[in-house]
Amino acid sequence: MYGGGNDFDGSAAAFMGGGFMPSQTTHTPDPSSFSTSRNREARCLLPLTVKQIRELASNDESNFVIDGVEVNNVTILGRVCQKEDKTSEYTFIVDDGTGQIECTKWIQESLDVDELGGILIGVYVRVHGQLRGLQGRRFINVFSIRSITDFNEMTSHFIDCIYVHFYNTRLRGHPSQAQVTNSAMGSTLKGYQASPQNQFSAHFSTDGLSNAGQVILNLLQQPAYLANEDGVHRNVIAQQLNIPMNKLMEELQSLVDNGFVYSTIDDDHFKSTVNA
Amino acid sequence: MDTSKPAIFVNGGLLAMHVKKRVRAVLQIVGSDRGSVIAKSTDDHQIVVKGSPPPSPLTTFVEVIGVADSEKSIQAEIWTNFGDSFDTHSYNQLCQLANGEYQNLFL
Repeated sequence: MYGGGNDFDGSAAAFMGGGFMPSQTTHTPDPSSFSTSRNREARCLLPLTVKQIRELASNDESNFVIDGVEVNNVTILGRVCQKEDKTSEYTFIVDDGTGQIECTKWIQESLDVDELGGILIGVYVRVHGQLRGLQGRRFINVFSIRSITDFNEMTSHFIDCIYVHFYNTRLRGHPSQAQVTNSAMGSTLKGYQASPQNQFSAHFSTDGLSNAGQVILNLLQQPAYLANEDGVHRNVIAQQLNIPMNKLMEELQSLVDNGFVYSTIDDDHFKSTVNA
Repeated sequence: MDTSKPAIFVNGGLLAMHVKKRVRAVLQIVGSDRGSVIAKSTDDHQIVVKGSPPPSPLTTFVEVIGVADSEKSIQAEIWTNFGDSFDTHSYNQLCQLANGEYQNLFL
């Protein structure tokens, strides 16, 4: 399964699961899809801090579990603080500010050497790889290591780490709530696997929304607005619901952040993700 | 200096919580004064950065990793140019989260 050229299957599976999101298909009632969804869950890509990796309780060489999710492929972001190149492999010590971890990249082609040669001590890198353990030591078997050009990626990575931790500890922990998020996420992140629309709406109204958010969403879900490709201008929403603009924008932002609503032709037009 | 010690994300306000500890902060360079660099934190506090900057010129935004000297100054060991544009608002939010509810992921 991990031999030869199949290594990158993991990242393809991660794509289908919506990037780093753990697969949500465990709720699928169809029993025949169970084994595939299990498989995909085990291969999802987790953004982690080095501290989280170091604290993983397992002396085995594999079978790491964090927040109830099996850890296999991980992504970290940090600064290279040591580098060692041998003919067959490059070893980097990456420090992300929460700890340090060894990352090993095996050289397969001369192309690799060119790429890795540019990664020097002091450079910030994004690493994708498979987490391995050996005699209590942890290291990452690197699929890809590249230097960061936009440093906002650092902020973004750590926010991802927080979000995924939150998702796996809180949202997955509460079945009813998780169901809601799963349906919502299912529709935004995994368009190919459209959940039945009626189930989606039925679960839509319960958790995670403020009253005002719910009212705005109800308006956006009126058939006339759903049918309009451009969505609804914020002035119209404010007028219809009699909400002050600053409050409206705050609520809309939160709806956008949660994947219920998206902006369309410009930053002023919004549309519900239902039927998107 | 033991570089394996964690360096926690801080803004100006949070610096006071970590005096004598290892911190990291993205700062906007304002100027220099008597061998120190004067900078502005992502929450608009003025921070004095001590230590020698790298020979290459600093960009507008710089990340410094070092020890919090006082609640207003950092003794920097590592300087990294973060370029001339940086989303300070998001970084500031991250500092809050990393020192608050989600500190266990960082420290």
